[in-house]
Amino acid sequence: MTTLFNILITFIWVFILYALWDAAFSETGAIAGYSWDEMRTYILLAYGINALVGWRVASQMMGTIRTGEITRELTRPLNYRSTQLAAAAGMSVVEGLISLVLILVLGTLLFDVQPPDSPVAAALFAVALLAGFVIKALCIFLISLLCFWTLNSVGLMWAQQAVISVLSGTLIPLAMMPGALRVVAEVLPLRGIVSTPLQIYLGKAQGWDLAGLLALQFGWLAVLWFFSDWAWRKAFNAVEIQGG
Amino acid sequence: MDTNAAPIIEAKGLTKHFRRPVKEPGLKGAVRHLFRPAYADVVAVEGVNLSILPGESVAYVGPNGAGKSTTVKLLTGILVPTSGRVTVNGLTPFENRVENARRIGVVFGQRTQLWWDIPVGESFRLLGDIYELPDETYRASFGELIDVLDLEPLLRVPARQLSLGQRMRCDLAASLLHRPPILYLDEPTIGLDVSVKARFREFIRYMHRERGLTVMLTSHDLGDIEELCDRMVMIDNGRIVYDGALSEVTTRFGWERAVHLTLTEPDESALEAASRALGNRPGAVATQPEPTMVAVTFDSRETTAGELIRDLATALAVTDIRIEEPTAESIIRRLYEGDLVFEQAE
Ligand SMILES: Nc1ncnc2c1ncn2[C@@H]1O[C@H](COP(=O)(O)OP(=O)(O)OP(=O)(O)O)[C@@H](O)[C@H]1O
Ligand SMILES: [Mg+2]
Repeated sequence: MTTLFNILITFIWVFILYALWDAAFSETGAIAGYSWDEMRTYILLAYGINALVGWRVASQMMGTIRTGEITRELTRPLNYRSTQLAAAAGMSVVEGLISLVLILVLGTLLFDVQPPDSPVAAALFAVALLAGFVIKALCIFLISLLCFWTLNSVGLMWAQQAVISVLSGTLIPLAMMPGALRVVAEVLPLRGIVSTPLQIYLGKAQGWDLAGLLALQFGWLAVLWFFSDWAWRKAFNAVEIQGG
Repeated sequence: MDTNAAPIIEAKGLTKHFRRPVKEPGLKGAVRHLFRPAYADVVAVEGVNLSILPGESVAYVGPNGAGKSTTVKLLTGILVPTSGRVTVNGLTPFENRVENARRIGVVFGQRTQLWWDIPVGESFRLLGDIYELPDETYRASFGELIDVLDLEPLLRVPARQLSLGQRMRCDLAASLLHRPPILYLDEPTIGLDVSVKARFREFIRYMHRERGLTVMLTSHDLGDIEELCDRMVMIDNGRIVYDGALSEVTTRFGWERAVHLTLTEPDESALEAASRALGNRPGAVATQPEPTMVAVTFDSRETTAGELIRDLATALAVTDIRIEEPTAESIIRRLYEGDLVFEQAE
């Protein structure tokens, strides 16, 4: 039920954006190097991808921390971070499959989505997408960990969603962002969630650019991997399990 | 129980302090806290020394907020101590949480360890996978627990639809599925009816006696403690105030008795008369809780009830006499209330 609702919301957003960009492109042929064909594809795929790891993992994790339900997870012989990543993956498989079908149907019927730039682009897109998925799940894990200290989950949740949707390039492609924001978005790991896979898909990055993008993607992945492990140990030391 | 064995649970100077944010009420307080956070130090557990041998069953008692649950959390490794050492099964629980979790079972009375939305039977299967139990071990263990706890009818029900007593039985099974040598129970019988409670105790006793399970139990129900545990550890304000046999508590404080006298009619001067009659009997103190009642507490090592009654019966018009023997319950209550102090016991 929640799943369907999420997907519905996503598609309402996609339609709104579609209408806005349609109007913008009626004046010119290309904006910041994106043609209308590419932009349509970008909008639809960006939302589909960003919806993959929803806020539900985060809200569940924060909930267990706030109420002390986390004892259940901690008294089991499981690595906590792996459990959270597995939960994220589990939910994404369900939501992802439904989204994928909808995207394919809508994409071909209504949006006239472009195919990947080349078979190589398609393969690298899949790789980048997977890495982006782990990056997002790790970011959400890190943000949720803050709950150990603040115990205030609502604020964290909203902030997290807004920041991710801008800096990942879901709202607009990085190339269209104003100066400073663009620089920030380009170096941060969040671009790896949406922007990097889509740039590859659309063939916007070639040769060394492409290699650089992937290097940045996997560099961040490694950093986040070690950082989240360290942060969890830190949080665990500070944890004050709630409730008697 | 092998008294030469090394302890299976050992704590030395175990201490946990919590930081509790101090916020003044209202927006102003919240804003001030944001810029200059102030914290109060809450002592939950302070310098606890414990040594539990394999196969022992220990009752961990103490008034509300004494630090029982916190100790259990420290022993299960889900909480990191502020200072002190803990060793369980030779491991430091909070440093080897995952490894430690394989070798312990935990039941928290107030919360379930089962998955809320999936049928109990599925939960067990998942737990079997999580604990990586070989197929035969799982089947044997599962079969036995189902049998002893009579869970067959509950296997297809999701945890959220279980009654408290049913849920508790399932939780017990879940905590023992991987056959841990240690079981921690934190207020396991809270809210259970008398017959479910009795069956619960029977089951724990069986696992303890027949399987050598080491049990550590916190409870406010003295029945649990008397029926299940040979040893009692009492904690108050985070510190251990008693550690020894439960029966010893009654012998240790058992000298304190009381004689209750019912008078024929309300008598203003009864207390004075009683005190005069008692004269200088050491350790005997008279009170008059009601106009028609006089109570005398005395030390049975100094005086006998017979002597007291002889003295009092001549001085007062008495219709009825009741001699109060101390029970474990009354002693523990008075220990909680600070009426009795362990140091005075000798
Ligand atoms: N997460 C926490 N943050 C701050 N203080 C806490 C926290 N958890 C427990 N405390 C405090 O630590 C003390 C011990 O609590 P604990 O839950 O161990 O008591 P208990 O002996 O289990 O009591 P009860 O019989 O009521 O269950 C209490 O004063 C409690 O207020
Ligand atoms: Mg408690």
